[in-house]
Amino acid sequence: MPRFTTVALVAGAALLVRRAVRSRMTTAPLWPLPALDEPVSGYGRGSTVPRKVVVTGRATPAEGVVELRLEGTGLPSWQPGAHVDLVLPSGLVRQYSLCGDPADTASYTVATRLIEAGQGGRGGSREVHDRLREGVEIEIRGPRNRFPLVAAPSYVFVAGGIGITPVLPMLRAAEAAGADWRLVYCGRSRATMPYLDEIEALGGGDRVSVVAEDVSGFPDLGFLAHVPAETLVYCCGPEGLMDAVTAAMPEGRAPRLERFSAAATTGGTAFEVELRRSGRTVQVAADRSVLAAVREELPGITYSCRQGFCGTCRQRVLEGEIDHRDELLTDAERGDSMLICVSRCAGKRLVLDL
Amino acid sequence: MSNTQPAPVASEHVELKARKVSFDWDATPLHWVPGDPFTTHTINVLHLLLPAGERWFVHVYKQALPYITDDRLRADVIGFIGQEAVHSQAHDDVLPHLREQGLDPTPYTAQVDWFFEKLLGDRTLPPGRPRRWWLMERVAMIAAIEHYTAFLGNWVLNADELDRVGADPTMLDLLRWHGAEEVEHRSVAFELFMHLDGGYRRRARTWALAFSALVFLWQRGVRFFMENDPSLLDGKASFGQFVRKGRQGVLPSTPDMLRSIPRYLSRAYHPSQEGDTAQAMAYLASSPGANGGH
Ligand code: FES
Ligand SMILES: [Fe+2]
Ligand SMILES: [Fe+2]
Repeated sequence: MPRFTTVALVAGAALLVRRAVRSRMTTAPLWPLPALDEPVSGYGRGSTVPRKVVVTGRATPAEGVVELRLEGTGLPSWQPGAHVDLVLPSGLVRQYSLCGDPADTASYTVATRLIEAGQGGRGGSREVHDRLREGVEIEIRGPRNRFPLVAAPSYVFVAGGIGITPVLPMLRAAEAAGADWRLVYCGRSRATMPYLDEIEALGGGDRVSVVAEDVSGFPDLGFLAHVPAETLVYCCGPEGLMDAVTAAMPEGRAPRLERFSAAATTGGTAFEVELRRSGRTVQVAADRSVLAAVREELPGITYSCRQGFCGTCRQRVLEGEIDHRDELLTDAERGDSMLICVSRCAGKRLVLDL
Repeated sequence: MSNTQPAPVASEHVELKARKVSFDWDATPLHWVPGDPFTTHTINVLHLLLPAGERWFVHVYKQALPYITDDRLRADVIGFIGQEAVHSQAHDDVLPHLREQGLDPTPYTAQVDWFFEKLLGDRTLPPGRPRRWWLMERVAMIAAIEHYTAFLGNWVLNADELDRVGADPTMLDLLRWHGAEEVEHRSVAFELFMHLDGGYRRRARTWALAFSALVFLWQRGVRFFMENDPSLLDGKASFGQFVRKGRQGVLPSTPDMLRSIPRYLSRAYHPSQEGDTAQAMAYLASSPGANGGH
């Protein structure tokens, strides 16, 4: 008889467990395990999925320039100076600065000037002008920012032609922050220079000098030799203009430049990194990564891909302005951490929690 | 060499590196093995387990790195960490797509998150021996799990039947890219375990734990998907279906899986004895997702 009761008990218990599991299959399928309060999985960064946008607007803000409105869902917000990669229908990848509203997560705005093959064009702008019609879907990568607007009491901006695109959101931001700014905006002729009206309205009189080559020749950059130390100088435009601005700067000071060439993606300026917990400081040369410099002091530090996509080298930043160069971290993560294999410092010094 | 010492079969050592990948899920249907929800969901369980599981691998291995005294092994572990981090992200990015199709995985994944982050996470242990014991225990579990990821990777690289039945090419590419990297790095977890500990009792014990956990998680995962699939009125999962689909070739065959058990428990086991590195490398060279995206 006791055998019968044991069998009945075990069978009963098994039945109860089975029922308990069944009834929870929708809400807690791994019952009796608890759930993590804030689920992590399934709410990731989407870094392995192409981000797609649709061209929903085309405008011509100046001769030879087309402005595109690109709509998508949940687009990351960005900071003035940021750019995106457009993967064009042919597979060409081209970088364009964002010139719309940084807080807009439903659309991005870019503007491109048509550069014909005879003028050194490599086919990207031709394709943008010809093939990116309304309704076309394309993939974008980024945004990334190699040309960040660092907080300062005053700024000088020098833009040449289509180089105005990253500068335009900077002007709006500088104006909103109440900073003192001036802009030298040059181009071949007024008709070829986009956004003149908005910029002149923003400047309200003496802040903006428009230098159209057909009227007044090349800009006079002599004033740059006397810009005060707390004024930051930003320049985007043709190589010749950026060289001229660099040459016009006072001894030992460099302008912040935006260059869309391969060379610009790696290097940067030199800076120093303090490792707070270890009580050490390392120097990061212009052509080296933070990771490489830190590894000399802390050989056990973790990393893997060294290209900013695996996320294993992420470190907490205690002080200093980060120049994020990865595409992996979310905005929230960017607030106080960085991927030290690719990202750098936008100023002179970073303090890491290491 | 005695046959009780695990040793790699051939010197087919490759330098491990993480690959950047891109998979576009827009065109992938809910039942990506056409007309076969059971097979679809059995494989889909990977997307439930791997985001949290492989994140946990990375978390544990970061702690193990300082104990490694062999430079080549350290380089392998670094490569392994990066590959697993990207695997975790890639599977994680499938989950929003399931949600959009009416199959919200969150009730399940929130529990898997707890399983890996809390139950198998860093417990508040006194430094010294207890902490090291728990680390070694987890390193050994990962070695056992990697026996199965390599098994599955090798299987999916050779599962021609999935192509024949018209499985979604993007999903197949994700599985085969991942499978190929699993085959590529199949020796790392075992070698790390042998380097740091290597005790046979621990190997057997953690195998038993890992195996039971996998069976438990997997069968619950398939049932969860089948019962919540909005397109199935009365979705059921059974072991019989699993055996049948294994015979057909769209899932691993049950006899093959049973045969892999004694292999891991053999004292002469080394992961390089199974799988084909050349085949894996060939796939990686041609995978659309690992070469610029779909
Ligand atoms: S090492 Fe992979 S993101 Fe830095
Ligand atoms: Fe993996
Ligand atoms: Fe693996």
